[in-house]
Amino acid sequence: MEKDYGDITSVIYDEMYGKSDEPLAHYRAVSETISNMPHEELLQRQQAADLSFLHQGITFTVYGREEGTEKIFPYDLIPRIITGDEWNTIERGLKQRITALNHFLHDIYHEGKILNDGIVPHELVFTCKYYRREMRGVDVPKGIYISVVGTDLVRISDGSFAVLEDNLRVPSGVSYMLANRQVMKRVFPRLFGNYGVRPIENYGQQLLTTLRALAPREDREPNIVLLTPGVFNSAYFEHTFLARQMGIELVEGRDLLVHDNVVYMRTTAGLRRVDVIYRRLDDDFIDPLAFRPDSQLGVPGLFNAYRSGNVALANAIGTGIADDKALYAYVPKIIKYYLDEEPILQNIQTYLLDDDSNRKYVLENLDKLVVKAVGESGGYGMLIGPHSTREEQAKFKDLINENPRNYIAQPTLALSTAPCLIENEITSRHVDLRPYILYGDEISIVAGGLTRVALKKGSLVVNSSQGGGSKDTWVL
Amino acid sequence: MHFEIFHLTRFEYSNSVTESVMELRMQPLTNENQHCTSFSLQLSPSARIFEFVDQFGNIVQHFDIPEKHSKLEITTKSFVEVNEPQKLPESLPLESWKQLDEEIEKGDFWEFLLPSQFAHPTQPLTDLQKELNATREKDPLTLLREINSFFKANFEYAPETTEVDSPIDVAIKQRSGVCQDFANIMIALVRGLKIPCRYVSGYLFHRTNDRSHIAQDATHAWVEAYLPTLGWVGFDPTNDLIVGDRHISVAVGRDYTDVPPTRGVFKGNVESQLSVAVRVRQAETDEIESSELHAIRRKGFTVTMKPKIQEAAQQQ
Repeated sequence: MEKDYGDITSVIYDEMYGKSDEPLAHYRAVSETISNMPHEELLQRQQAADLSFLHQGITFTVYGREEGTEKIFPYDLIPRIITGDEWNTIERGLKQRITALNHFLHDIYHEGKILNDGIVPHELVFTCKYYRREMRGVDVPKGIYISVVGTDLVRISDGSFAVLEDNLRVPSGVSYMLANRQVMKRVFPRLFGNYGVRPIENYGQQLLTTLRALAPREDREPNIVLLTPGVFNSAYFEHTFLARQMGIELVEGRDLLVHDNVVYMRTTAGLRRVDVIYRRLDDDFIDPLAFRPDSQLGVPGLFNAYRSGNVALANAIGTGIADDKALYAYVPKIIKYYLDEEPILQNIQTYLLDDDSNRKYVLENLDKLVVKAVGESGGYGMLIGPHSTREEQAKFKDLINENPRNYIAQPTLALSTAPCLIENEITSRHVDLRPYILYGDEISIVAGGLTRVALKKGSLVVNSSQGGGSKDTWVL
Repeated sequence: MHFEIFHLTRFEYSNSVTESVMELRMQPLTNENQHCTSFSLQLSPSARIFEFVDQFGNIVQHFDIPEKHSKLEITTKSFVEVNEPQKLPESLPLESWKQLDEEIEKGDFWEFLLPSQFAHPTQPLTDLQKELNATREKDPLTLLREINSFFKANFEYAPETTEVDSPIDVAIKQRSGVCQDFANIMIALVRGLKIPCRYVSGYLFHRTNDRSHIAQDATHAWVEAYLPTLGWVGFDPTNDLIVGDRHISVAVGRDYTDVPPTRGVFKGNVESQLSVAVRVRQAETDEIESSELHAIRRKGFTVTMKPKIQEAAQQQ
């Protein structure tokens, strides 16, 4: 394959080429296989892959659109490859970051040392809508707040990986990572078999081990369930998929009840005690008694059962404060504070907009910057300056002036690109990487992750909800 | 003074409900101003009672009743000893603003300085602030005394003119409300001056010789503001009183949201009626202060087989 796919500029790092004109060593065999394959055959394999996703019913829901909201997650045939060395850095960096963020969560819900020492402003924490004051003084099982994390990484122009977002609430997408691999093995069995790709298939087992480690009672096999908001949730497919992989019950709020401070599951054989809940339901909705009283998805009394240690939740309540996009700017300081280490993975420069000089600079440069609402995820509530209209910029200017705390700005990133098969052509698209980190008795990271692709040419938004696709990710 | 408090709360449902889950914030606090020497709680139907201390230091009981029931009765009896409060100076020196700002900078007052669900700035509140001319030109204690007196002079005490979940703007605009409204408004005003301020729910014991228009309601709400050298000082805007030994604190929070006496969820498509009776008696003298059991309000429930929240409206 030749490096000739259009709009690459010199500042952008390409996953296959780096900054050179020749494929990097670890990509060579993939490049050759695809180059030597008749175009017809390549298309046939892409069709086979698409069909496989359709048959497996691997879909997600796009909010805010009127037409049929179930969509197939587009899969790109050409794998994204990460070398063993690169992966080692990522792995060390993520472990460091997760360890520090877990310390942070424990601290702000207990003594608040980092706040009192003036490292992180009190106000930032207490004004965050994901801060759960009810968690103050509550001890969580084994002190682990964030058991399941899906950190978003991007590769910037010098070829290094940087953290774009810490997703510490209910990160999704791991089912696509697993499905992509299954399809890859079917579509390119020989190529895959000869590459020495590290396996990811044990993710389900590792997740189960992680959840088991949280069980409050050690005298018996814990009953673990996955709590879903239900079929209308965008990740419902994933909830069913993971429950099946782990062999645990998939439940909705109405399937559970709390009696005498213990959580039970309704079964045909009566009530059965629940020990660990892998919840894919946001804090707000999890218990109408403790949080949003209008929630009909939650379990009344669950928080009190949790508070008294009778049930474990993964993730803990109140973890969203640590992935507030304004707090993100403080993560390097958080790492330094708790671990006395320099961050291994870089942060992206972030402008906090309640600072007057930052705000002035950002408002004058909206056409160059990316603006994000601090509490949103999934690519909602975002302005990509260079791709925005004047009206959009004016709208964000008003929004920022109205509530500066609610927004941050970052430079528009030169996200790395990777070759993709799009409309029968091989062409470059921007990608990111979401590895999945599990924190039980120890921190483990499955070697890989979800590589998301911005399918629109030149687009920097990779979120599935905004029309992104994905690739299989190979770690060598 | 020593008090004996009897508090009956009764929910009656038009049909049976199941899976009631409820939290109570009804046990009087023990702190430097008062001592709750005993507290008993009875439930009908009976249930196992659990207890925890919430993030504000309130003692919370909770329970659940899974089986069918069409009535829920909660009876509490408390004995509380309330100390004679410290004598307040007439005013504080103007420099105390600086001292206050320094203490805020160091201490953990954030929860009681930031806006909260009811106590947050709105346009009507800003207008009220102007009308009051509440600025830092006077010393903080004088200012608080003025704000505290403002309500009795300018607002009408009028039950049923606001709902338990009415935003403060309703009471500000109509210039009437109940103690809960006045407390929420005063908190928003005081926090606007960067003085930490919190909501207190509790009981007020009325001596027979100063029965006022609120005499029949012993459950009450007021505020506490934090002042340098004095600590938390209680102000009762409903009665234009500095909180003394007739105010019995039960729970504190950012505003009413944090301290409803009962908060519960049940399953059932029913109408619910809440009645409350409270009797506060001075323990030594047997002086009796009581209110008849009276219907507080009705609340309709129209959703079928889905949990709905009911909050006891302890309106006064």
